[in-house]
Order: sequence, then structure tokens, then C-alpha cells
Amino acid sequence: MAEQTLTLKNLRIAARARQMARLRESLTVVFASKTAIVGLVMVLLWVLVAVFAPLVTKFGPLEQDYLMINQGPSGAHILGTDHMGRDVWSRIAFGARTILTLGPLSVMVAFVVGITLGLPSGYYGGWIDETVMRILDAIMAFPTILLYMIIISAVGASPFNVVVAIAIGGAPGIARLVRALAMDIRTREYVAAAKLRGDKDIQIMLREILPNCRGPLIVDFLLRIGYAAFYIGTLGFLGLGLPPPTPDWGGMVQEGHSRMFANVWPVLSATLSIVTLVIGLNLFADGLREETMRYQ
Amino acid sequence: MARYIVRRLMTMLLSMLLISIIVFAVVEIAPGNVARNILGAFATPEQERSMENQLGLDRPAITRYFSWLFGSDWQVSRLIGMPVREIVISQGTQQNYRQWWAVDEDGSLVQWDVVDGQLIKLVRQENGSTLPVPDEAGWKVDEEGRTYFWGLDNLNHAALWFQGEGGAEYTYGYSGWTQSTDSPVDYVPLSRGLLRGDAGISLRYKRPVSEVIGRKMFNSAVLAGLAFLVSIPTAIVLGVIAGLNEGKPIDRIISMGGLVTAASPDFATGIFLIIILGLWLKVLPGATVFLSDTAIFDDPRMLVMPVLTASLVEIGYVLRITRASVVEVMNSAYVRTAILKGLSHRKVVLSHVLRNAMMAPITVIMLHINWLIGGLVVVESVFGYPGMGNFILNAALYKDIYSIEAGAMVLIVLAVSTQLVADIIYSYLNPRIRYT
Repeated sequence: MAEQTLTLKNLRIAARARQMARLRESLTVVFASKTAIVGLVMVLLWVLVAVFAPLVTKFGPLEQDYLMINQGPSGAHILGTDHMGRDVWSRIAFGARTILTLGPLSVMVAFVVGITLGLPSGYYGGWIDETVMRILDAIMAFPTILLYMIIISAVGASPFNVVVAIAIGGAPGIARLVRALAMDIRTREYVAAAKLRGDKDIQIMLREILPNCRGPLIVDFLLRIGYAAFYIGTLGFLGLGLPPPTPDWGGMVQEGHSRMFANVWPVLSATLSIVTLVIGLNLFADGLREETMRYQ
Repeated sequence: MARYIVRRLMTMLLSMLLISIIVFAVVEIAPGNVARNILGAFATPEQERSMENQLGLDRPAITRYFSWLFGSDWQVSRLIGMPVREIVISQGTQQNYRQWWAVDEDGSLVQWDVVDGQLIKLVRQENGSTLPVPDEAGWKVDEEGRTYFWGLDNLNHAALWFQGEGGAEYTYGYSGWTQSTDSPVDYVPLSRGLLRGDAGISLRYKRPVSEVIGRKMFNSAVLAGLAFLVSIPTAIVLGVIAGLNEGKPIDRIISMGGLVTAASPDFATGIFLIIILGLWLKVLPGATVFLSDTAIFDDPRMLVMPVLTASLVEIGYVLRITRASVVEVMNSAYVRTAILKGLSHRKVVLSHVLRNAMMAPITVIMLHINWLIGGLVVVESVFGYPGMGNFILNAALYKDIYSIEAGAMVLIVLAVSTQLVADIIYSYLNPRIRYT
């Protein structure tokens, strides 16, 4: 009896050790790539700003001061104020919250949809695969921005709808990737073993196939957060993003764009913020992808 | 090869059918009241209903989908029991004005109106005027004993009148609301359908969409063409330089620049260019206003920044592909052989590396068309450029449904057919693809 508990305990320790090893492995991958580190630092800076937004700003993002409109940078307002006398830095900091919540959220929704469609499609093949792929092909034929434009114009601009639109736009690509991985993995021995064991299809898909897809999926996830940030900014700029007065970088560019000859600071800060975040995310994902490819 | 192309064409047709259903479904079935969006918040529900009725938006979605795609004239001629014909009038201020008429038994063109409960047939004369003829015999009686008449009105609808119960109609025109009685109670708007080149009447311009869209397509093609001419040679030259100098400082600089321009959202690139060139250096007009659809040719300086923005994004992308491809070829066995054989560096690069390394960027550029179109939409909206992108964006913001649908379909047909051509060229160059 005692011996048995001991083995169980050993097993648990071994499992923990394996997990630690895996974590160390992935950290090594990240730190092996200079590109990934640079990207990670850029992204983390924005994450810190977003998390501590109320602490690093002196004014609220919606606080208007009609005596202080279109000011340049000063001691009180480090990036000046916009046409409504709102503190630009505060809107940038709170805008980081918006984009850093909506971005990952929409990619997660896209992954849920994409995996739901791609996994059975790749596992079963046949007419399920054929039908799903035809529909996804049709969606993928849309230029992405066009798809977002017609969705948002139909359902209206709101955070929820932006997430839905970006999820719809991203899901087909994810489904394709998952399908390709599933088609490959379903021929492996451990899947055959699970089938012999009498596991149900859904168990095989979720316990055997999905966990073994995770490497490429994680890289894809990171890349897609970059795209999502890109598109959330673009939608905001086109006037199809979050309704004002929500602090939203794309929206700030849109508002400041027409007033840039009076005051360049709001539009310049918002544009720089989007660019640094998107490039940071891209560098991180790119570096990681290259490093994992080399690793394999 | 022929079989491959036919198979691809069939899949493309199937995709286009699905795409048309998606576009229609998203634009027209989704929540959001088209009439309210156009009439504003102060319109009464009656006015909204009247407008929906006149636009035919109260008809079932399936019927609307088929009228949108194939036209409603055949449907209407069954309703009124007469063939209908569309004629184009150019008279005075009305240029290329399209009108639908029913063709009477004696070949004359007719429309109808109801005045004071009397059904009047308007017979078109040679000079374009109409001759009113009372047509009391035209009324028909339905099962419930009501007297009704299906005919064409003078605003390109098929209309249903009931004798003695003229519906109250609200028309929103340039001069505001007009209310009329004795008016029809149901409408079917006439159109030839998208497949026959008629995308309906734009709710915003009050003109046929197909007429408005032509000029915009031309303008977009000019922008895209110029951007293409600027970006592709630049990108390939820079990519080759970077690839040949892999790891050296010049490669780092070019690669980094490529990454930054490729990853930056298009609008950010545009804004930076305006700030730097227009606001700080003042070498180009920072704010451009395109007053008319043809304004792009009045002052070529206005074109510089849109073209530059569209190019920069594309340069970054193509540059990275070219660089990767050159690096790969440089490390290949046959290039090593060529070098060991004693060929000069120049000769190796020109006759071995470049030819093989160009495959990847060329295919990628073609497969990249979707992205390019999306980029153009954004670039056009940064500069207010009068092209397709701006047209669709404004249509989306105004909820001009027929313009959104037509614009979307045009862009997608363009994207899908380019993709097809790219696939065919690629399979021609690389026969292995054909059989998989």
C-alpha cells in the first residue's frame, strides 16, 4: 500500500518535472531569439501600461477641460490634449487596455470557432470536410478588411461586434491549419491505440489530436494577436471600431487625422502606439516561429 | 491542363455563388434598419414602412436575393401580364436616365397612374412626353372582391393599386417629404439584376450603382497600377541586395525596414507620410481634397502620397519574400557547385541565383491580391481618394446596401479571378501541382 502511494507520488513528481522541463524549453526558445526578446519587451511595456493605466496617468481618459484644448506637451499633459481637452497620454494608456483586451479575446473566439470546424473536418474527412472547406474557401475569398467592413456596417460598431467580426475573419485560416494538422496526426499510432481502446471520436479529437497540434497553434495564436491588433486599429480608423468616446487608438487617429494641422500630438501618439504594439507582436511571433523551426 | 482549368473554373463558380449568398445575407438580413439609417431618427414608423415598401425591402429575403442577382423584370412582366422594357433617355439635364416601361399590345410604351380613383394609362409619345388615356377596363377583381391593378409607375417600380383605397405614400426626395394619396400599396422595384450589369439604384447617389462604380474602379486601378509599378521593382531590388548580403549590416537595415513597413497598418504609414512630408518638410500638400471623381489627374502631386503609402506596405512584404528566397537559393547545392566551378560572383548571381529566386516573389505577389485590395481600401480612406475603397466605406457608413453589395462583389470577383489566373500560371510553371 505504502509502496503504491510512493509510486503515485513519484509519478506526480515526474509529471511536474516534465512540465517544468517543457516550460524551460519554451523559455529557452524565446530567449534564444533576439527578435523575440525585442518584440516581447515592446509588448510587455504596453501590457504594463494597460494594467497600471490608472496609476500612470493624472487624468481620466474621458475627462474634458474646455480651457485646455489642443495643447502641446507640457508638465501636466505629457503628450498634450486633444480637441476636447482630454489628456492624450491618458487616452493612450486606457486605449492600450482596449486593444490588449479585444485583440486576444477575438483571437480566442476565432480559435474556438476554427478548432470546432477544423478538427472534425480533418479527422473525419469525406463530405464533412468537403462542405466545411467550401464554405471556408468562400469566406477566405473576401479581402479581410472588406469582410469586416460589411459585417460591422450590418451589425453596428460595438466592442462585441468587433470581436465577432475579427473572429469570423480569422476562423477559416485557423480551421485550415487545424484540419491539416489533424489529417496528419490521425494516422499516428497513438490515435490507432486510442481507437482500439474504444475511445469515442470526440475524446480522440480533444485528448489525442488537439494537444498534439499545440506547437504550431501557439505560434499561430501569437501571430494572429498581431493581426487582430492591426485590424482593430484599422477598423477604428475607418470609423467602424469602438463608438466614441471609448479610448481607442484607431479612433484617436481618425479624430486627430482631420485636425493634425492644428495639433499633431493626438494623431502622432496614437499612430506610434499602434505601430509599436503591432510590430512588437509581430517580432515576438516571428522570432518564436523561426526559433521553433530551427529547434525542430 | 484543360481539365485542371475547367475543374478550377467550376469550383470558382461554386465559390462565387456561396460568396454572393454570404454578401447578401450579411448586408440585407442582418439587424439594422436601412430606412431608419437613411431617414434619420425623426422619421415616423409609417414613413419608414413606406420607404421599405418602395425599396421592396418588405419582400421575402429569397425573392430579394433572386431579384438582386437575376433581376426582377421577368417577375414583373408576369405580374402585370405584359413584357417590360428598359430604355435609356438622354434629354436636357437627364443624361443616361434609365426608365422602365411596359410594352402594350400595339407596341407602344406605357406606364400607369391613379388620379382621383381613376386609372390612367400614360402612353409614351415620340418626343418623350406622355399622353394620358383613361384605362378603366384595366381594373381586375381578386378573390376577395377587391378591385386591383398591377402596373408600372413612373419611378421604375411595378406597383399595385387598389381602387378606392389609395395608400398614403411618403416619398423622400431632394426637397424633403411629399405625401400623396391614391398611391400604390405594394411595390416591386425593377432591375436587370447584378448578373446582367444592373446593381440597383444607389440609395446615396440616387443613381444606378453600375454608373457610379465605373469611374471609381478606374481611379482605383490607376492607384493600384502606379503603386505596383513603384513597389515591385523596388522591393525586388532591395530584397536581392539584402539576400546577397545575408547577415551584413546592409541586410539588417533593409530587413528591419521591410519588417516595419510590412507590419505597420496601412493607415499608420499614410499618417506618418502626411506628418513628415506634408506637415514637417512641407514638400507635398498635406491635406488633399479630391473635389471630383476626375480630380486625380488635375494635380499629379496629389497622387504622390497615396501611391507612396500603398507602395511602402507592399514593398515590405515582397522584399521579405524575395530576401528569403534569395538566401535559400544562395545556400543551395547548385549555387555552391557554380561557385566551386570557378564562375565569377557576378555570373553566378545573374544566371543562377536570380532566375531561381524570382519564382517565389512572383507567385506570392499574385496570391497576395486580397491583401492588396484590403490595403487599397484603407489607403483610399486616409487620403479621401475617390476610388472603390472609399466608395464601399462610405456606402457602409451610410448603409447604402446596393452599393456595398455591388462594390463587394466587384472586388471579390477581381480577387478570385486573379487568384485563379495565378494558380493556372503556377501550375503551368510547376506541373507537379496539377495532379494533386
